[in-house]
Amino acid sequence: MITITIDGKKVEVEKDTTLLQIALAKDIDIPHLCWDDRIRPFGGCRLCVVEVEGYDRLLSACSTPPENGMVIYTNSEAVINARKAVLDMLLIHHPLDCPVCDKAGNCKLQDLAYKYGSTESAFKEEKKHAVSAESPFIELNPNRCILCGKCVRVCWEHQGVGAINLIDKGFNTKISPAFQEVLDCEFCGQCVDACPVGALGSKPFKYMSLAWFLEERDNICPYCSVGCTITLNVRERRIISAKGVKNKGVNNGDLCGRGRYGVDFVYAANRLTTPLIRENGMLRQSTWDEVMQYLSIHLRKIIKTKGPDSIGAIGSPRCTIEDNYMLQKFMRSVIGTNNIDSDRFGYAKIQQAVEMTFGLHTLPISLNSPLDKDVLLVLESDITSTHPIWGLKFIEAVQKGAKLIVMDPRETKLSKRSSKWLRIKPGTSQAILNGIMKAAIDKGLHLKNKRSREAGNLDALIQLLKAYTIQQVSDIAEICSREFTEVIDMFLKGERRLTAITIGPAENNKGLGTALAASNMVMLLGDGPQALQMPATYSNTYGMWQMGITPDYLPGYEKITDKPGKNIFKMLYEKGQISALFIIGEDPLITYPDLNKLEEVLGSLDLIIAQDIRLTKTAEKFAHIVLPAASWAEKEGTFINAAGIRQKVNKIVEPATDATPDWKIFRNLSRAMHHPIGMDDLSALKEKIHQIKLHIGDEKWNYVPVPYEEMDPPDDDYPLLMVSGNIMQHSGAFSVMSKSLSHVFADSFVQINEYDAEFFGLKDGDIVTIESKRGQAKTKVRISDEVSRGMVFVPLHLKDSRMSELYVAYEGFAAPIIAVKIRK
Amino acid sequence: MKKVLLKNIENPDSALLTEYMRVGGYKNLKSAVKEMTPRDIIDDVKESGLRGRGGAGFPTGMKWQFASMDPKFPKYLVCNADEGEPGTFKDRPILEKNPHLLIEGMVIAAYALQCSRGYIYLRGEYPQAKVILESAIDEAYKKGFLGDDILKRHFKFNLSVYQGAGAYICGEETALIESLEGRRGQPRIKPPFPVNAGLWGRPTIVNNVETFANIPLIIEIGPKSYAAIGNTACPGPKLFSVSGCVKRPGVYELPMGTTLKEIVYEHCGGLVDGRTLKGIIPGGLSTPILTPDKIDCAMDFVNLPKAGSQLGSGAVMVFDDSVCLVKVYERAMKFFEHESCGKCTPCREGTGWMRNILGRIECGRATAEDVDTLIDVANNISGATFCPLGDGAAGVVLAFVNNYRDEIDYHIKYKKCC
Repeated sequence: MITITIDGKKVEVEKDTTLLQIALAKDIDIPHLCWDDRIRPFGGCRLCVVEVEGYDRLLSACSTPPENGMVIYTNSEAVINARKAVLDMLLIHHPLDCPVCDKAGNCKLQDLAYKYGSTESAFKEEKKHAVSAESPFIELNPNRCILCGKCVRVCWEHQGVGAINLIDKGFNTKISPAFQEVLDCEFCGQCVDACPVGALGSKPFKYMSLAWFLEERDNICPYCSVGCTITLNVRERRIISAKGVKNKGVNNGDLCGRGRYGVDFVYAANRLTTPLIRENGMLRQSTWDEVMQYLSIHLRKIIKTKGPDSIGAIGSPRCTIEDNYMLQKFMRSVIGTNNIDSDRFGYAKIQQAVEMTFGLHTLPISLNSPLDKDVLLVLESDITSTHPIWGLKFIEAVQKGAKLIVMDPRETKLSKRSSKWLRIKPGTSQAILNGIMKAAIDKGLHLKNKRSREAGNLDALIQLLKAYTIQQVSDIAEICSREFTEVIDMFLKGERRLTAITIGPAENNKGLGTALAASNMVMLLGDGPQALQMPATYSNTYGMWQMGITPDYLPGYEKITDKPGKNIFKMLYEKGQISALFIIGEDPLITYPDLNKLEEVLGSLDLIIAQDIRLTKTAEKFAHIVLPAASWAEKEGTFINAAGIRQKVNKIVEPATDATPDWKIFRNLSRAMHHPIGMDDLSALKEKIHQIKLHIGDEKWNYVPVPYEEMDPPDDDYPLLMVSGNIMQHSGAFSVMSKSLSHVFADSFVQINEYDAEFFGLKDGDIVTIESKRGQAKTKVRISDEVSRGMVFVPLHLKDSRMSELYVAYEGFAAPIIAVKIRK
Repeated sequence: MKKVLLKNIENPDSALLTEYMRVGGYKNLKSAVKEMTPRDIIDDVKESGLRGRGGAGFPTGMKWQFASMDPKFPKYLVCNADEGEPGTFKDRPILEKNPHLLIEGMVIAAYALQCSRGYIYLRGEYPQAKVILESAIDEAYKKGFLGDDILKRHFKFNLSVYQGAGAYICGEETALIESLEGRRGQPRIKPPFPVNAGLWGRPTIVNNVETFANIPLIIEIGPKSYAAIGNTACPGPKLFSVSGCVKRPGVYELPMGTTLKEIVYEHCGGLVDGRTLKGIIPGGLSTPILTPDKIDCAMDFVNLPKAGSQLGSGAVMVFDDSVCLVKVYERAMKFFEHESCGKCTPCREGTGWMRNILGRIECGRATAEDVDTLIDVANNISGATFCPLGDGAAGVVLAFVNNYRDEIDYHIKYKKCC
């Protein structure tokens, strides 16, 4: 600690900081435009200058570290004059078009001009008239730009993208994409939030409202499991736009494109406003009274004739814990069955692996986990797409000096920032992990830690790993053995290691075996479960599991030992297992695999109830009753994020016409069935959930050795491996409803390497047929070097592609990658 | 005085290795590497009193010592050959006529500083120098003066030429480093200084072409004899590039501290007959103009500041009474406006604003208040900019307005040149 004097006050400060940070922490206002605590100081705007005794020049506070005994004046005459001069210069080119600027009322330049500026400038010449580069989504207005460069640095340093930069020099400098081409980035909008003036804006919100008419309401983002706080701008009970606000939420103001632009799904054209009932094969509008009566009669009839276990339900990771709790309560006590499951193709694998190896019923991640590590291993996971704000922590860790190892056949944002990137063959992460473990055993590292030595099944694991020498694994993963050795050394030398894998329902390049191998590895190295980060997928995936939306657990992870229910593989892929199905917030026809089989089973059911915020494909085709649910912004509730943090979801706007919160629908239905389950209002329900005791399990390590296998090896007929996943802008149900996000990407596509494209005679934009052993789908070709040879990549969830027809509903250990062929 | 920096320059083949070696080239490298320790060389450079020839005049030995004290490796050696200020063309003869002198100086420096990699950051507009330098580097590699085992002493130094894209700001060492790393040329925040965290975050020594060219001489004659050349406070031979209204403009190698009068009237043959001296810019466009009464001032880092200017790069620009200085400074400001990198507000906006006002004065559209605004803007830029570029631009305007106010007022009043 050292002592400095600011404006006559003596303060004790850390050495490793700047004068600006010290002042801001002490509530001394030093105006600044180009500084942001997420990025390195720039020192460009020159507004934060302060007077320091012993220096002739004024020093910029943002870039000057304190020295012992420094005497600083932040408000002396010289300082005020310098600020005024800088403002005068900033305003000579600013168009002062505040009346038509969306930023007016929320603009730092406006505030500062109000505070310091004179009303008249001595500048007499013509202002500059710069021409803006074109951009589909983000409005660039170079005339308003004050060239603080914050957008450029946030985009590159913090966001890891580098889509824009300053071009030209001096007077003619402007912000632009490279070569003034059309802006083509991930459209996260971080630059828009960073812009202190109205030079960057969001086109979807242009001219929607002036700042002072907007009411700011915080809510938890409905997309991924990071659980960011988004601040919604509401005008006359309508959500206008969304932004991140510094010091708010787990995200501390950062937002991704989905969170910022995707919230308009609430106003999608296909929102359900009334219940629907199928009559003569067609769905028609109905009323709550009619459908409740219908359901009460038919459900009771089915229970009576076929037994309660002939009814099943699918819960939703996008609904709140209150909704999900009520669903399972309804199924378990009103219907009387444990036939409850959810999208089992993603997080379920992680749950299963965690239980089999660590003996835990749940394993939350820690959002800051990458920051205190020295080596990070990311296996075939595009974290900055699936969990964008958590992904930023990996970039931050790299900035701080951590080594990042990425194993991925696809080029991702993290691979671009990695210390070492190996383009492994799709789906071979498990073999890679086995290879690392083999190398660790050869070095004797497994003997270092008592727990590693004493965990069950060690001998079987060692026996299995004999086959995973560096050479053999390199052959499996099609990488260079020398490079693999280097990576292993880099990883094993780390003192604070972290391994990260995401397994979402859309991702088919990792399987249960991958999660098990990763768990084995962190045990073998003695790092323990905390060194393995496998996040839940959606906003409330974690909460949904905690609420017992699974055939074998009650709320609070209480294991059902006597009579577990049927899982999704039984209910949806085996004919005759059930005759009625309740689907909440899911669209199996779009997201579930093996479409032909699925359609066959769904078509055979007596009663399908689809409860959703919009008319899903499944509802349109198969549902007998469609119930309109209130969307995330229209109801109160709780999400639990991937780190296990409970966060309150607020009701921001009124529900669309007849839409009702899911939990209330179950309450009403149980009343209609003359089997009330209590919890008549939200507070009673919350109290009930509050009382749930969590059984997280006793940590007891146990190795589960699993050999690497290929589910569907490519052959001459089906030579390409098809990997599916999420892209930055789309993660499923909500994002495709968003008008803004669909503006960036709407149509499905397949990415293929240029060599393969040439081999198969494909050109960019061709419509092709992709065929697997199970079915076929049509889509558009995008040639890209982001994917390696021998593979194709498809984003799931995009409209009308029927990609899921190609997939198989698979319960084994391997990664469910399928072999396909592609033709024009 | 015997020419050292421009030795053998009359020989049309002076750039060839054979010709350079014929007049004693690379002899000093051999003796440095074989007879001296790195420590000895740094001590000698310190003792010699050599000050950087790029403009700021920082003691070279001190810079080297700071860099050698930093424990981080690898260290990089960079030659600043981004000679781009109007009036400055002193490095060009070394680059084009005597490239091996530069290379020899750099290899000795690399040995002293234990650098294994060096770059010559060459001005974008010197395409010919690039060809000559690259072929000289090739020759040096073949002779074993560069490479992985220099003079069989297990000393490794690899050198290449990197051509800039034509920005004046890249002559500022941190902007140069940014550019060398492949980024937009903009100065970095100091500290950390390049000697501790420069290229790729490693200790980096950036010196001017002429500075490196002085190193072999220090080895050859020893620091004491070197310190006896010219002004004792900043000794050594100095290149002066003289342009403007003199009979024999050109590059002259003279001892540091030669007076302006001697340069203009003896070496350059004086003004055209019948003209009178109006003003002299002594060290390149970014140094303040001197009035004719300062003609006796010695050209060095000590005496010029006393006279109200700076030595800068030693680029002397002479103006006689046929020259309109308002036009000169309008043109000068066009240069600064064009070359301002745009990073900091005062320089980016201020240089353009000043150019606008000077333009109006020159065209006869200005009023008396415009001069006050000009002074005001220049004062607001002074001391407020990120790097010295904006400071320089404001400084020269202030010196011009202070010294030639009559000429400006004449323009405003009569709307023509006097």
